Amino acid sequence: MKRRLFVATTISSALAACAPIGTALNNNAGFHKLIGSTQGLTHAAIGTRGLAKEYHERDISPDFPIDSLPTPTDSRYVELARNAFRDYKLIVDGAVQRRGVFPLAMLERLCNSTQITRHDCVEGWSVVAKWTGVRLSSILDLVQPRSDARYVVFHCLDKDDQGTPYYESLDMHQARHPQALLAMRMNNQPLPPDHGGPVRLKVPTQLGYKSAKWIGRIEVVGSYANIYAGGGGYWEDQGYEWYAGI
Amino acid sequence: MKIGERIYRYAVATRASHWIWVIAFAVLVSSGLQIFNAAPFLDASDTTSPAHRVLEIGSPSDGVGTTTVFGRTFTTTGWLGYTDDGMGSRGARAFPGWITIPSYQDLADGRRWHLFFAWITLICGLAWVVSSAIKGNLRDMILRPSDLPKLWPMQAYYFRLRKEPPPHGVYNPLQKAAYTLVLVVLAPVIVLTGLALSPGVDAIAHPLTWIFGGRQFARLWHFVAMWALIGFFVIHTFQVLTQGVLNQMNAMVTGWYRLGKHDGVGP
Repeated sequence: MKRRLFVATTISSALAACAPIGTALNNNAGFHKLIGSTQGLTHAAIGTRGLAKEYHERDISPDFPIDSLPTPTDSRYVELARNAFRDYKLIVDGAVQRRGVFPLAMLERLCNSTQITRHDCVEGWSVVAKWTGVRLSSILDLVQPRSDARYVVFHCLDKDDQGTPYYESLDMHQARHPQALLAMRMNNQPLPPDHGGPVRLKVPTQLGYKSAKWIGRIEVVGSYANIYAGGGGYWEDQGYEWYAGI
Repeated sequence: MKIGERIYRYAVATRASHWIWVIAFAVLVSSGLQIFNAAPFLDASDTTSPAHRVLEIGSPSDGVGTTTVFGRTFTTTGWLGYTDDGMGSRGARAFPGWITIPSYQDLADGRRWHLFFAWITLICGLAWVVSSAIKGNLRDMILRPSDLPKLWPMQAYYFRLRKEPPPHGVYNPLQKAAYTLVLVVLAPVIVLTGLALSPGVDAIAHPLTWIFGGRQFARLWHFVAMWALIGFFVIHTFQVLTQGVLNQMNAMVTGWYRLGKHDGVGP
């Protein structure tokens, strides 16, 4: 019996030790890097293939959580919002043949796509909404990325409480996906400020944090290594995966 | 074969995968609970829907933790909902810090651990299935129709209602039933429900998410399959502890197993 007690004690202490050992390993830079190393494998295995499922009007969720950085409160944004964003202009520059400046009215004329898709948050919840806007690929066709262009970076108008702005990035393949949308309408209404108005990104093939709100400028780049902390996105800079397909 | 004889039971691939899975399973459960904590509810629906809520762990007021299962709420302060925050204190948190990786709330790192060990488990699992299928020892583990009449006699032997176990091969009929459940049902379900949570996989294969009842439902099945695997782990560990723990542990380290009276080989 003593032997069994010994083994039982050993197993339960091993189990109880898991979390502290895990936490210690988690804080070891080398190990932390190692457990991040399969991201490339995940990206290669799943990637951006196929089309996200399209839903019906009746599937639209009654509540869409506002789970992002706070809606911008700076005077420039407040001024734009007061005027129903009529003075808003989307700037598209960087590694492009022709720098683009798109006033909201022009973006509205370019509207060419509607999708009713599910928004899957990294936290685990999902909601369905209808989005209308212009395909990101249509904007890219207008500005003509140069041959060295590899990523599309979205600079946003929202900032966290440290003053760090939100941003996101997609590679050219993801940006050219037919469902990658610059949305200006949500559920048949102009995109409300709390949901990223006037213009937000919608990428239904990846987790919600890729679908950046309040886009102010789109920059086409060869590499995002020198932008902010170099992770390719606000949450990526805080340890989340750049490839957010899972 | 007779009692007391030593047989070479576990190939090196089996022993290595066994111990890799022990570590990986502990990590996948504890990092999985960390991920669950970011949205501590489970719905039997495609999208998040309180009307279809099966489980919710929360903290309705400071210092109180509750767990709601099928609409019935239990106070679980200290255990679930309001518990160890992994930083030496207590706070609003579904599963306690002593069982999650990292112990404090950190979804990004929980995902990092979970996805890394998911790959390890999957690669190790596929390699083991292929090697075991080639060597033929996978065949010894799968329950066959001819084993069905022996299930109750084996259980009766464990209940001490019967003196001898029914004659059987390398594994007894109950072991085969458990291994078959894990290999044919639980392992595929936990992998497929995990994949069904991925918007990238959903775009490739809509039916995968659909057969589990949608994304939130897949999250629920993923959680249920985890508990079923924990159930297997508990029974498995109990059996090892009560049936010659040193012989069993020695076998899973060196491969050599000494046949005992439970093994149904006769004297």
